[in-house]
Amino acid sequence: MAGKSLPAVNSIDREFWEGAAKGELRLQKCRACGKMQFFPRIACTDCLGGDLEWVPVSGKGKVHTFSLCRVPRNRAFMDEVPIYVAEVELEEGVRMVTRIVGDDRDQVTLGAPVTVTFMETEDPDIKLPVFELVA
Amino acid sequence: MLRKKVCLVGYGSTEYSRKSDRPLLSYYAEAMQNAMAQTGLTKKEIHGFSMVTQASPDYSPYVAEQLGLELDWVLNGDCGGAGAVCAIRRAADAIEAGYLDVAFIVAGNAFDKNVAHQRVLEYQRANYVDVYGYGGPNTLFALVQRRHMEEYGTTLEQIGKIAVSQRFNAGPNPQALLRTPMTIEDYLNSRLISDPIRLFDCVMPCSGGECVVVASEERAKQITDKPIYLVTDAEKIGFQASNMLPDKTVTGMSVVGEHLFSEMSRDNIDLLAIYDDYPIAVMMQLEDLGYCAKGQGGPFVDDHDLTFAGDFPVNTGGGEISVGQAGLAGGMLHVVEALRQLRGEAGDRQVSAAQTALVTGIGWLSYARNLNTTAALILERRS
Ligand SMILES: [Zn+2]
Repeated sequence: MAGKSLPAVNSIDREFWEGAAKGELRLQKCRACGKMQFFPRIACTDCLGGDLEWVPVSGKGKVHTFSLCRVPRNRAFMDEVPIYVAEVELEEGVRMVTRIVGDDRDQVTLGAPVTVTFMETEDPDIKLPVFELVA
Repeated sequence: MLRKKVCLVGYGSTEYSRKSDRPLLSYYAEAMQNAMAQTGLTKKEIHGFSMVTQASPDYSPYVAEQLGLELDWVLNGDCGGAGAVCAIRRAADAIEAGYLDVAFIVAGNAFDKNVAHQRVLEYQRANYVDVYGYGGPNTLFALVQRRHMEEYGTTLEQIGKIAVSQRFNAGPNPQALLRTPMTIEDYLNSRLISDPIRLFDCVMPCSGGECVVVASEERAKQITDKPIYLVTDAEKIGFQASNMLPDKTVTGMSVVGEHLFSEMSRDNIDLLAIYDDYPIAVMMQLEDLGYCAKGQGGPFVDDHDLTFAGDFPVNTGGGEISVGQAGLAGGMLHVVEALRQLRGEAGDRQVSAAQTALVTGIGWLSYARNLNTTAALILERRS
């Protein structure tokens, strides 16, 4: 049986995953115009410039929306349902698709403050940035 | 812009099935055969051909070789659920420019194990969404719907009314896979799939095929006594694509609507065929098309009868959520239903005196946004 989905790390997003493995959330920033963006891309979505750097960010944000996924596309995730899939708006002005974790995740609401943490996967080199509610 | 001399002259549908193991190409061929029978066109008269597909290897030249087509114009329809509308637009461009007189536009789906029809999972979906255990489009639309409900107070009853009305519309439609009557209680009690999306929000994948025939006005008059004119059409791709804080409840259809309704009043539209992979998508499009203000889709739905007999007929054949979604034929289905209505061929679900129809297509769910592709067109019967 196929396992849980893992990212196919590539030349564009290697630094993102290396940061996550070390417990650091990183976003792409355009050196030319200063735009921050996610998901990782080959060029800046404002000026199309290719000179992008990876910068560590606060990992603080708030929940923009969420869903309790009960039927994952990849059925290998069935042992974790319901999965709190969410979009989190980071302080830096960028939204990420992620997961809300923690024993109090059923208390999640729109606008709730959250902070990043990193979740182990089936690959020891890959950790996923996920978020937990700020107490 | 107003189209000058472009018509839709016929269509062909196949039966829909959830179980068939028929090969995909047989659905394409049957849909085309049915369109040929309706229009009287022979294979030699098919000069243009477009496959609307996201799957390899079903590209237009490959299918053309399989079906033995000699062509002067091909197009790969690539805008997902908006692909049917976009392919019609491209064919209309070629017709207006004088390069093309007749084009067949085809789409379909099958559970065909003999050919590896591989859908491309875009890398941003694979690397940054699927890894969290998301539920495909069900979850992506759930993220949108929760925002709409929280921001505007939209209720499940209001969203469910769209599903219930469309199921009613499917009753007289022999092509629909789901025709048994459904109540709002049935909707509310259906199983949660990805909260707040429940089972009766979700479109049902199935096998089947659809074909639409586009022609110049000159050829149209030779082919049919019921040519349906393409009045105007527009698309918006990548709405909010560079905005890292996009409004999840507004779609590119807001821009499309401005183009369309600068040419014809929205109040002149007799029926709407609104791409309906989910009822919330229908509601958001009605708002973005300007039938009501943003966020007022709930009260709007409360105030109108969406059935084929109602004051505001939407998805008169039941839509994809009742008929089934045969891959990208889901976008074609709406065009075909509009043609049936405008040609007076909709049987027991006929909208009386239907003369104009709006058809939309939406697709390619974008990362942390909503719809990457949105397109629409207005069709008109002229006597
Ligand atoms: Zn830039």
